[in-house]
Amino acid sequence: MIRRIAPLLACLGLLVAWQLASLALKNDSFPTALEAIRAIPAVLGDKDSLVNFGASLRRMAIGFAAAVVISIPLGLLMGRSRAVASFFNPLLMVIYPVPKAALMPIIMLWLGVGDLSKTLVIFLGVSLPVIYHSFEGAKAVEEKMLWSGAAMGLSAVQRLVRIVLPAALPEILTGCRTGLVLALITMITSEMIARQSGAGNILFNALDMGQYDTVFAMIIIVGAMGIVLDALFERLRARLVRWSEPQFDIPLSFS
Amino acid sequence: MIEINQVSQVFQTSARQDHLALSDISLTIQDGAFVSILGPSGCGKSTLLYIVGGFVRPTRGAAKMKGRAITGPGPDRGPVFQEFALFPWKSVLGNVMYGPRQQGIKHAEAEAQSRALIEMVGLKGFEDFYPKELSGGMKQRVALARTLAYHPEVLLMDEPFGALDAHTRTRLQNDLLNIWERDRKTVLFVTHSVEEAVFLSDKVVMMTRSPGRIREIIEIDLPRPRRRTELLLDPRYQKYIVEIERMFDDSGEGE
Repeated sequence: MIRRIAPLLACLGLLVAWQLASLALKNDSFPTALEAIRAIPAVLGDKDSLVNFGASLRRMAIGFAAAVVISIPLGLLMGRSRAVASFFNPLLMVIYPVPKAALMPIIMLWLGVGDLSKTLVIFLGVSLPVIYHSFEGAKAVEEKMLWSGAAMGLSAVQRLVRIVLPAALPEILTGCRTGLVLALITMITSEMIARQSGAGNILFNALDMGQYDTVFAMIIIVGAMGIVLDALFERLRARLVRWSEPQFDIPLSFS
Repeated sequence: MIEINQVSQVFQTSARQDHLALSDISLTIQDGAFVSILGPSGCGKSTLLYIVGGFVRPTRGAAKMKGRAITGPGPDRGPVFQEFALFPWKSVLGNVMYGPRQQGIKHAEAEAQSRALIEMVGLKGFEDFYPKELSGGMKQRVALARTLAYHPEVLLMDEPFGALDAHTRTRLQNDLLNIWERDRKTVLFVTHSVEEAVFLSDKVVMMTRSPGRIREIIEIDLPRPRRRTELLLDPRYQKYIVEIERMFDDSGEGE
């Protein structure tokens, strides 16, 4: 029981702390939690802002999907072929520490301020953790499992798709989960830099106009989106890799 | 018939030095024979098995199966590994059906055959369990059924019972002999246990410590079907064991 309501209690505690801090500080640019919550219906009820959210989510979905589709095969190939790994590893090491949003101004110069630039930044943000985890997952696949498959007549490509992929799936999905959160972050930051549409656009326009209750309402909404997306993904993940879940760890004793 | 002609295997150690694992091995294995390769750990006996399986290419020499050079793994040679190497995302039934399905056998037929095999290895009722839910002995039973399911002509068993406790090992040895006596497939069985080798085999190939060479080939002339309780009292069985144990001791190669 306590375990189930614990997350709710945590959220509630955060809101209470916020409320008290804002009452104590009495700062115009720091509205109380109640004020921010009261501003949420106005944001969500506005047709323009819904169009903005739609645009954000569309870019996020496309960027995430494209990243997953390309990164998983690349990561798996890197994990099983030393040549592929030696080729891509240095490239990835260069890209990894660069904040993807920092590339946004350059990408905007090339591709404009539209969807393409933002989607590309999301794509880059998601790709790296997915590649990395797919790579690690594929590397860890037991050699003997692949040999068993080879003895059954599976070709190299079949082994990659039908053994390496499922065996590495728990690790891959861990990468996807990180990628999903990064997609949300890069989505907002890309819209912050190229303000044209999207949730980040609403947030930073409100900031410019000093509508602080809207700013904080947006922060709550984006946070809630993160929680919902993560929870949905977690349910999907749990279904896909039920066989690797820890509750299955206690083996039966029978010889 | 399997012919191994003057096979040598050189590995590179992590210190980039050449290590001779197998030296000039020649061996012929007749169809339907149960042959054990016995030797101290590190003598390359598993490597020899992997060469016959086509998983490892010998540095020098060649292995042939039915007169044709072995160039890679194939369903005519079915491995069973000490590490089980089951597909953890597949149920017991899914694992056993994998090979037949790969060979294009229809689902219903593959399932019926696989269920029969699962029953034969003593796992009726566990068809829908996942590998993680099984004990070591049960996993090895599944691995054996999975390999038998695609009807290899030769079973390649790589210390299959090495990771199991003594009681489980004994039960699996008995069951393996019972299964083997039905269709007398050729078996190449790697072990470091003298008793296991004598109990199971028609022929024991004794190897020396590294570099692995064949030291002696001992024909085990004991009646079949073999019963452990009878054999333990049989002076011929005892004599084989003592004789082979002495060979280990003589050369200071005991473990």
